[in-house]
Amino acid sequence: MNSPSSNTETMAYSISHLNFGYGTSWAQTRDAVLSDLTCTIESGKIVGVLGPNGSGKSTLLKLLTRILRLQVGTIELFGRDLQAMSQADIARTVAFVPQETQQSFPFTLAQMVLMGRYPHHSGWGGWHWENSADLAVAHSAMIDLDVAHLGTRLITDVSGGERQRAIIARAIAQMPRVLLLDEPTAFLDLHHQLEIARILRKLNRERRLTVIMVSHDLNLASQYCDHLILLDRGRIVKEGSPEEVIEPEILEAVYRCRVLVDRHPQSGMPRVSLPV
Amino acid sequence: MKETIGTSPVTPIPSSEKVAQQGNEGLTLKPTMSSFPSLTFGRWLFWIGLFLFMSVVALIGCLRFGTQVLEFSRILDILFQEMGRTPAGGTESDPTRVILLHVRLPRVLLAFFVGGSLAAVGVALQALLRNPLADPFVIGISSGAALGAAMALLFGIGLSVWSLATLPVCAFGGALVSLLIVYRISATHFGFSIYTLLLAGVVLNAIFSAFIMFLTSVADPNRAFGMYAWLMGSRTGPDYPTLGILGIYLGVGLVLLATQAHSLNLLTLGEEAARSLGVEVERVKKLIFLASALLTGAVVAFSGLIGFVGLIVPHAVRLALSADHRLLLPIAGLAGGVFLMVADTVARTLLSPAEIPVGVVTALVGGPVFLYLLMNHRVRFGT
Repeated sequence: MNSPSSNTETMAYSISHLNFGYGTSWAQTRDAVLSDLTCTIESGKIVGVLGPNGSGKSTLLKLLTRILRLQVGTIELFGRDLQAMSQADIARTVAFVPQETQQSFPFTLAQMVLMGRYPHHSGWGGWHWENSADLAVAHSAMIDLDVAHLGTRLITDVSGGERQRAIIARAIAQMPRVLLLDEPTAFLDLHHQLEIARILRKLNRERRLTVIMVSHDLNLASQYCDHLILLDRGRIVKEGSPEEVIEPEILEAVYRCRVLVDRHPQSGMPRVSLPV
Repeated sequence: MKETIGTSPVTPIPSSEKVAQQGNEGLTLKPTMSSFPSLTFGRWLFWIGLFLFMSVVALIGCLRFGTQVLEFSRILDILFQEMGRTPAGGTESDPTRVILLHVRLPRVLLAFFVGGSLAAVGVALQALLRNPLADPFVIGISSGAALGAAMALLFGIGLSVWSLATLPVCAFGGALVSLLIVYRISATHFGFSIYTLLLAGVVLNAIFSAFIMFLTSVADPNRAFGMYAWLMGSRTGPDYPTLGILGIYLGVGLVLLATQAHSLNLLTLGEEAARSLGVEVERVKKLIFLASALLTGAVVAFSGLIGFVGLIVPHAVRLALSADHRLLLPIAGLAGGVFLMVADTVARTLLSPAEIPVGVVTALVGGPVFLYLLMNHRVRFGT
């Protein structure tokens, strides 16, 4: 066991005995979304959260960025109690990319990405003017995500893939230490799926950015994640390296269907296929 | 795979390559990104200045018209004379002067304040409800305020100076209650639905109107008639103390809204996204609720029901200028003021010496615009 002080630097998240249910507090026990979840997430890793629909993956991400308030249990972010931090404090450490972004107001892509700088300014209602450092950060994030040429386009007019990349650019512009993504590649074509995965790995390597992503894409997770957490009905079924988690018996029990697991021809990582 | 980093063909800024090469070192760079579109203080000041100037021009233009058309030189003469004078001095013998300073000017100023506040409330509600078609009148906030004020008018409080201070408080209460109802109804688990919001507004309007009709039918006929005129947004020019009281209410509400302008930007992303970007959503929402109800309450108490200003003006400004609330909120406020000054001038001169209630004018202009927007937005909101 590490001492608490070194723990704060190596552990991005320490989660213990997390229980959560939607609805009123006295109904919790009946429809718990997460029950007695305990795990740690190491700093500097890419972590995949897997599991069937309704297994509590998205809920877990929302608890980690305090979009949802914790009910039972504790979450520590780099050794600090998440409940005691201000929302801006959290946003400077953790960025969140939601599954889908609907925007009915005509903001430009650049305005959208610059919103990522909000938590870095204080003041009444966050009133501030972006300075040149903000612009530089936003612009470099837009280059990383291949949307720099779309700066003046309206978010309501671009394609779903372009919008999703702009949202990830906004998260990068937050300059976080941890990046949470809820199915980041769900609406992207193959080219941009690969692009996003590579960018995430690049950010992870170069900035020691901890990445936690929820995904239904087992192969993407196997290829790019260092550590996988498999959830089923609000409990951790299995966690470990892709080799340990992507096992036919484990997946078949969780997803309730037969799967074939072989090796990726290039990387040698486990590869999942469905039977004919 | 296409190498995109630093070689994107459409990045026109030389410094962008430097930023890309150095990765996160870009933070320490301070390049001037002339083509990177962002709102700077200078640009903000320019637009505010321009619209302030246009507001003054429009105000003088509106002072010209009435039952008797005045010369511009005469208007400016009187205004400049008045500015150099102490308020207590001199007797008002010149009839033109009396008409200008004590009939038209207060009335035009009232229209400006009221229009500006309605547009600002429209902007705030649209962001809060994530809905570009929200308007305090359409979604039933104004009629909630009207019911509050009507109750105050019919039960006891007469038209004394004291009532001018208490009427807005009752209207504020009515506005706040209806705003909370509309918010609760339209905030479903799946986000805000335009149709739920509009239907909630229609039904609330119907319920509140029924209550108001009930109150007027049991009230003394003289009072009831005065109430009808008031509800239609028809007012004669107020005196300056009245304007002052209104100004205090509106000033507090507008300053509250303005402090939240940047948070409103993030609120349009939805509450969850806003929270993940560091917005204290609950605090911001409370402030918006209070400020919007205060503004709507004060406006309804002094001017009755005036619809659609909060819908057309923000929409036009958003299209023409920016969706950024730091700019949108003040510019829509100024433009809303100008819009209602002009609408009020039309209302009092079109059938001169008879008057049309200004609410009729704004509804005749705003209603069709609203329908047009609703038709065009169907695809975008159709979930």
